[in-house]
Amino acid sequence: MTSPNTPLPGQERYVAPVEETPLHAVDAIDENAPATSMWADAWRTLRKNPLFIISALVILFIAFVALFPRIFTSVDPNYCTLDYSRNLPSAGHPFGYDMQGCDIYSRVIYGTRTSLTVGIATTLLVIIFGGLIGAIAGYFGGWVDALLSRLVDIFYAVPLLLGAIVVLQMFRTSTSIWKIVLVMAMFGWVSIARIARSSVLEAKNLEFNTASTALGSTPARNLFRHIIPNALAPVLVVGTTSLASYIVLEATLSFLGLGMPSGTVSWGGDISSAQTMLRTQPMILFYPSVALAITALAFIMLGDAVRDALDPKSRTE
Amino acid sequence: MTENTNIPAPLLEVKDLQVEFNTSAGNVKAVRDATFNVYPGQWVAIVGESGSGKSTSAMAALGLLPGTGHITGGSIKLEGEEISHYTPKQFEAIRGLKMGLVPQDPMSNLNPVYRIDAQIKESLIANNIDITREQRIALAEGLELTAAERAAKENVHDADDELFLGSAQREELLAAAKEAGKEIVSEEDMKFWEETWTPGSVTRWNVRHDMIQAGISDPKATEIAAKYVTGSTMADRIAGLLDEAGLPDAAMRARQYPHEYSGGMRQRALIAMGLAARPRLLIADEPTSALDVTVQKRILDHLHTLTDSLGTAVLFITHDLGLAAERAQHIVVMYKGQIVESGPSLDVLQHPQHPYTKRLVSAAPSLASKRMESTKERAEVHTKQAEAGHPENVNDTIISVKNLVREFKVPGRKELFKAVDDVSFDVKRGTTLAIVGESGSGKSTVANMVLHLLDPTKGTVTYEGQDIHSFDAKQLLDFRRHVQPVFQNPYGSLDPTYTIFRSIEEPLRIHKIGDAKSREARVRELLDMVEMPQSVMGRYPNELSGGQRQRIAVARAMALNPDVIVADEAVSALDVLVQDQVLHLLNDLQAERGLTYLFITHDLAVVRQIADEVVVMQHGKLVEHATTDEVFNNPQTQYTRDLLDAIPGGKLELGLDM
Amino acid sequence: MWKYFLRRVLQMIPVVLGTTLLIYALVFALPGDPVVAMFGDKPVNPTIAAQIRAEYHLDQPFIIQYLYFLKNAFTLDFGNTLRGGRPVIDVMAAAFPVTIKLGLMAFVFEGIFGVIFGIVSGLKKGKWYDSVILIVSLLLISVPTFVTGFLMQYFLGVKWRIFPVTAGANPGFIDLLMPAMVLGSASMAYIIRLTRTEVASNRTLDYVRTARAKGLSNRKVITNHILRNSLIPVITYLGADLGALMGGAMISERIFNINGIGNTLYKGILQGESNLVVSIVTVLVLIFVVCNLLVDMLYAVLDPRIRYE
Repeated sequence: MTSPNTPLPGQERYVAPVEETPLHAVDAIDENAPATSMWADAWRTLRKNPLFIISALVILFIAFVALFPRIFTSVDPNYCTLDYSRNLPSAGHPFGYDMQGCDIYSRVIYGTRTSLTVGIATTLLVIIFGGLIGAIAGYFGGWVDALLSRLVDIFYAVPLLLGAIVVLQMFRTSTSIWKIVLVMAMFGWVSIARIARSSVLEAKNLEFNTASTALGSTPARNLFRHIIPNALAPVLVVGTTSLASYIVLEATLSFLGLGMPSGTVSWGGDISSAQTMLRTQPMILFYPSVALAITALAFIMLGDAVRDALDPKSRTE
Repeated sequence: MTENTNIPAPLLEVKDLQVEFNTSAGNVKAVRDATFNVYPGQWVAIVGESGSGKSTSAMAALGLLPGTGHITGGSIKLEGEEISHYTPKQFEAIRGLKMGLVPQDPMSNLNPVYRIDAQIKESLIANNIDITREQRIALAEGLELTAAERAAKENVHDADDELFLGSAQREELLAAAKEAGKEIVSEEDMKFWEETWTPGSVTRWNVRHDMIQAGISDPKATEIAAKYVTGSTMADRIAGLLDEAGLPDAAMRARQYPHEYSGGMRQRALIAMGLAARPRLLIADEPTSALDVTVQKRILDHLHTLTDSLGTAVLFITHDLGLAAERAQHIVVMYKGQIVESGPSLDVLQHPQHPYTKRLVSAAPSLASKRMESTKERAEVHTKQAEAGHPENVNDTIISVKNLVREFKVPGRKELFKAVDDVSFDVKRGTTLAIVGESGSGKSTVANMVLHLLDPTKGTVTYEGQDIHSFDAKQLLDFRRHVQPVFQNPYGSLDPTYTIFRSIEEPLRIHKIGDAKSREARVRELLDMVEMPQSVMGRYPNELSGGQRQRIAVARAMALNPDVIVADEAVSALDVLVQDQVLHLLNDLQAERGLTYLFITHDLAVVRQIADEVVVMQHGKLVEHATTDEVFNNPQTQYTRDLLDAIPGGKLELGLDM
Repeated sequence: MWKYFLRRVLQMIPVVLGTTLLIYALVFALPGDPVVAMFGDKPVNPTIAAQIRAEYHLDQPFIIQYLYFLKNAFTLDFGNTLRGGRPVIDVMAAAFPVTIKLGLMAFVFEGIFGVIFGIVSGLKKGKWYDSVILIVSLLLISVPTFVTGFLMQYFLGVKWRIFPVTAGANPGFIDLLMPAMVLGSASMAYIIRLTRTEVASNRTLDYVRTARAKGLSNRKVITNHILRNSLIPVITYLGADLGALMGGAMISERIFNINGIGNTLYKGILQGESNLVVSIVTVLVLIFVVCNLLVDMLYAVLDPRIRYE
């Protein structure tokens, strides 16, 4: 009988040769690794993400078109003669003509600026206003939060499209691009405010804020130096994706006759006026729609890519 | 297989196991040539730091490697059968039934949307368990018995003897047993019956045995047991399993959701779940590392009794060498994916041979016996202080806490919750006072009040004789210069968007000290002080390990040349060796600069290494305050004794070769 | 749990008041005098105008007007349309059923297909059909609904004649099928994306591993643990979307010429029927708020942690 102190087979004393299991310094630092912040890290991930590369290139191109439409076409988008109405593509007019006899290609090129301006301006407004309200509510809490949260709830209860329709109908005769931006921002800020509030709340409870306070930092310093930079990422991600939805919404409003004033070249307006031609010449509707979809798609993809890079948990790939 | 029944066959046989993960940076070998055995009924411990491959090895055996992990070589045999190439379907058949798991983090391992009973029931149903009777493991008890003896023993009771008591019959059984035992059985025995005859857990032969032990005749006892112990229902069995795992009020608690459980209770539920199908092998992956020491001890004690009675083998994964040695017969030490040393527990602990094991043994706080000696001369301070005109005075009080009370509102309750209840103590200049207590003891609340992060409801905190809560803004800023914190969470206390340089520089900026150039020089100096290369200045916290971040946090705290550092669980989240390193750093800094520490911790073992005086707190109250030696050698209260008792491996003799 | 429900209902009250006030203020801040508009091209008779003003409380301060509106709305008395003088409630009663039908069909469509595709995609990440599902859902989000509508109308209706091109006066199930698909398409895409992310991230959670370690079959792990938990946010989204669908029906109704509430609202806007517009929007917003409330309650039922907050 084996004594209980004798190890069982396979459980005898074993010591690995030290040469094979070299000992490393405790907690050594790899001094050769590149420096990475959350943003730099995100950037490194982004650079390798085809989703990001494609969407970024497309957005750069779209921005370039919006800034310098003349490079892409010499035709005036507002020069329309009914003689050319519904003419097929010809040299110099690759997409042909629409009902009014305007050059479709030229209108698609010039429409870029409108859509992009609307999207970017609305997003900026929404991020600044919604972000601020959300940050204040999250940071101060208490009755400030209760009050602002109810305000958010009230605006949240009005669906974006519905709210925009109600307000824009009163500007029907005197609409302008800035009014549309304002109205969309008026009903769009709530979603950003909600996200900003929750991410500020999360950042507020992180220990480094307590640490800073104990170092002598003031609440305001904490908010601006620590909390807002840390709460920024989710707001930016949602901002990028919602930029696409504002572009789409502007087109939808145009479709309902509440969009851009008639003088402005816009994809939404062109799609809207092409609908009567759908059965006979669907291509008139096709071109501005594709332009719109590509732009929206690029921003959504960018938002996805940035989200994946900042939050590896929710990887799409 | 030989006919020699004295040497049993290993239950789990891992040989030259290799596990790799595919990452974007290429394949990473997580486990290299790991070889170890687990015998039936045995506790085997794998010890190692985070990233040593200890959990990965165990998960490979379960077929539950995370992400891209896969076995690239070697073999894993369970009961002699090669399982390393099993399909998911084949693994399903052996999981639960042959191998169970008690996972590490009790908070994330229970599905929040199901009641506890439903989650245990799943395990019973998935494995097709007969819930009416105990599934005792036919132990290869060859270590003690010959084949003939074993046969004789097995004949003692037939299958029906393993039937559980049902809750519906419990009262009748008790009444019948008491009736039969009238004037024979003592009160104590009857009380013992009431306490231990748990439906769904106690079996017919347990009951019979208990009655015979108490004096009832064998035929009578057999008759009563056979009549009333006739099997349990699902609900009984679930409650029985939870009860076996040490959960109080199991039948009622089983109907609750995980979020209504404390961490310890969840861990018990997970143990009940892991053992529900009576596996041959239980893999316990740091099952108690998230819990308070006393809870940890109780749960492990319980698990030990339970697995012993069932004959379950346990593969116990832990980072704590003391705990491993205390619980397991055989220890496997892993380091960077390789096994560096293995053997019988005490032998390894007392005669560590591999340099890594030696390092571990010498760093393990639970195995240390006295206060850390600083490598740097304490005398230095004395001369420095003498030069500065501060003759050292041991009785010089720097921080004084008097009758401190802090109450909190608890949502949904009228009365206030007293987190801190009348706590008083003095901290002497140049010494370390440790506040020890378990979660909820109020120790961190005291720290926050000392740091002026929280106002006391009653009582005062004085610094250099002044009440800190009466300070105006300017005085407060000055106070903050002198009293600095180091917080628990090395991942949370540094702003991830700040470079290391900015983090350390921040206090200098806040207090408007020096210009850009002198501040940079100071940051470099501080990095040297905490033994970090200056090249980390441009780095961000996410690139550093927990211990490195904690050293940065110490550097930040030292930036303003404070007198007092309040360290709130500053080393709790760190691996043993890293913890040891940070503790040495803190100790050296104290020796060099005459710093005063208020050290908040749940770990008494750490206290012995660093503290001069100890305050023990429980439920917001101060229960004991004495010098470290007195607390350890002559504890005055039961609570302190319990805490000391719970230090894993505290009573082991070791390190004879060192 | 009942306490939680009660609190949510009470919290809804200020939201409803605030939202109706907001809409009322917006609509009645409209330029132009509605009374003058009623006379159309005819000259304005001051006596009759004053009479009408008094009848509609237009001579009162704004806040009093709002309170009157609120009181009337509670008794389902939304007044009459400015042109034609039909009771607004009748107009709504005529238009709502078809929109509700349309909304429910869209809801079922997006729920079923969104969840199924999302689960398939989330469980089989990286497979070719995951990529296809992902790309299609991205397209549906980035193409405006009205373009999707036109395209479907053109291909499925005009070219291939699978579905009727327009719905007509009294649309049946088949007539509303394509409009419902159009209405639900963008939401379906969001649901696919949401379900996919949830399923994919829940797959790696600790309790899923624990469930596997218990010996549960793969099918059981997927249905009882991964899906059960993943679908909580999806159901929340779906519920909130039911309210939004009614409001969003306008586009689909315009394209397919359905005389639902969206079209009525659209025409009301064009004709400056402020009373009709404010009434319809109020009702739509109420539906939205109630749906959100129901979702919150459903959430509490589905996720036990919520109930005790």
